[in-house]
Amino acid sequence: MKAIYKREMRAFFNAPVGYVCVAVLIALYGFMYLQVMAMGSTSVIGSVYSTMFTFGMMIIPIITMRSMSDDQKNKTDQALLTAPVGVGSIVLGKFLACVTVFGFASTLGLLPAVALSFFSSPPWGEIVGYYLGTILYGGAMVSIGVFISSLTISQIIAAIGTFVVAVALMYIDNLASVSSNAVFHAIVGWISFNSRYTTFTQGMFSISSAVFFLSVMAVFVFLTARRLESRRWN
Amino acid sequence: MVEVRNLTKRYGVNLALDNVSFTVEEGTIVGFLGPNGAGKSTTMNIITGYLSATSGEVLVAGKNTLDEPLEVKKLIGYLPEQPPLYMDMTVKEYLNFMYDLKKAKLPRAQHLQEICQLVRIEEVFNRLVGNLSKGYKQRVGIAQALIGNPPVLILDEPTVGLDPKQIIEIRDLIKRLGKNHTVILSSHILPEVQAICERIIVVNNGRLVADGATDTLAHDLSKDHRLLLRAEGPEREMVHALRALPRIVEVVSMGEKEPGVYEISVETEPTADPRKDIFALMVRKGWPLMALKNMDLTLEDLFLQLTSTDAASAVHTEETAVEDAEIFERRE
Repeated sequence: MKAIYKREMRAFFNAPVGYVCVAVLIALYGFMYLQVMAMGSTSVIGSVYSTMFTFGMMIIPIITMRSMSDDQKNKTDQALLTAPVGVGSIVLGKFLACVTVFGFASTLGLLPAVALSFFSSPPWGEIVGYYLGTILYGGAMVSIGVFISSLTISQIIAAIGTFVVAVALMYIDNLASVSSNAVFHAIVGWISFNSRYTTFTQGMFSISSAVFFLSVMAVFVFLTARRLESRRWN
Repeated sequence: MVEVRNLTKRYGVNLALDNVSFTVEEGTIVGFLGPNGAGKSTTMNIITGYLSATSGEVLVAGKNTLDEPLEVKKLIGYLPEQPPLYMDMTVKEYLNFMYDLKKAKLPRAQHLQEICQLVRIEEVFNRLVGNLSKGYKQRVGIAQALIGNPPVLILDEPTVGLDPKQIIEIRDLIKRLGKNHTVILSSHILPEVQAICERIIVVNNGRLVADGATDTLAHDLSKDHRLLLRAEGPEREMVHALRALPRIVEVVSMGEKEPGVYEISVETEPTADPRKDIFALMVRKGWPLMALKNMDLTLEDLFLQLTSTDAASAVHTEETAVEDAEIFERRE
């Protein structure tokens, strides 16, 4: 697992993908903070992170798109699957590498707040809430992206598929609110990422929400491993 | 060392492998021959655990690939048809990655250096894999298979894409490796298999059609055994004298090929080798022997025969009586 994690990290930063993803997010954070400065009020910092959360979700498909599909396309999966490592650790290594890249970009997004703290007092509770929520939601989204990537050998299809799922998850609550179907409401309630995420953004650390996101990650890492295993049986 | 039992693999309705069984003893080099799409790569992929069989099992060093996959994978070094290389890494990074991936325990720097010397990739050690020529990529692929010094090497067309000089180098390397490794290699280049392998397994349409030692396989599977000789002397007398030799089935003169020199075809019993007798006869009679040629099938003839006419000409030298009986029935 460690070997695969190391290789994936290297792949991100050998190619421009990693740099571009991180740089785009940081540039956007900078732009948002510029507006905060223009307004001159720390009370709008929360909205910076909520906007950035949306951008983050747009970046995730690009981070995860090649994780599984590339190996399949270049036949490097033959090296991985015939090496004495389980499919679980292959998937976990790749998943953790993607999470690290996303987490790295998100963590750098805290820098403007740190800089501001020398001159003012940013609402740290809210910021940390947003940060944790983004990491957990993002982690769950990454696991879904990695899973989708394992379904296809085309990076583009993987990226678009993940993008659609990300958008669907963000707007599914809105869809539920305009529907009056109780069953639909209940289902959305079970799978809603947003409702779990907002507990964090209100500055509360909710264990049940954290467990929800961690379970989603576990489920999709497991499914990806099953998917890898199932390819042997085709 | 490697035991393949009744392997069958189906891709949907396509039968890629049909009840293939063979055993490879420790320290032998086995050549896996067959036309494209015969099931060579599929068999190799199943042995290495990349694919699973629809039915049947594979034992490596007595361990079942399904029961102890990780243990078995540690014993095998695999070069797939397309070397599994990461184009965005340097050779050094890639080999180090494979070293970690295979959880090799040998001293890292020394081990990698030895392998690089063996397959001659030292001069590209710091170059990006993606920028290497096909020959070097192939060699990096071989290097990768050697990491961790696994006792079993499975090489799927190891000399593809190499120039003639490199091919000879890699053949020599495989021969050397064969002294303390069990090697299974696939190829459709016959001279290559003849040059390297001690034993040949021929597959066609997913079925095992021949299995035997390289030197004797062609002889054993030839249906008629003939010698063609040229000698100077009286045509009729020569034919008569040759007919009188023991274990000769038929002697036919093919006519005068050079002034006073006749070409004579001598058909022998399958196990007989009358060459010494013929020589002695010719000397005794004072008929100069100009040429003596064994007309057994060459491996190439055999390969074409086995793989073009499908099961009709299927033959099997292994002592699996049941299978043989079945195949012979089909032949009749």
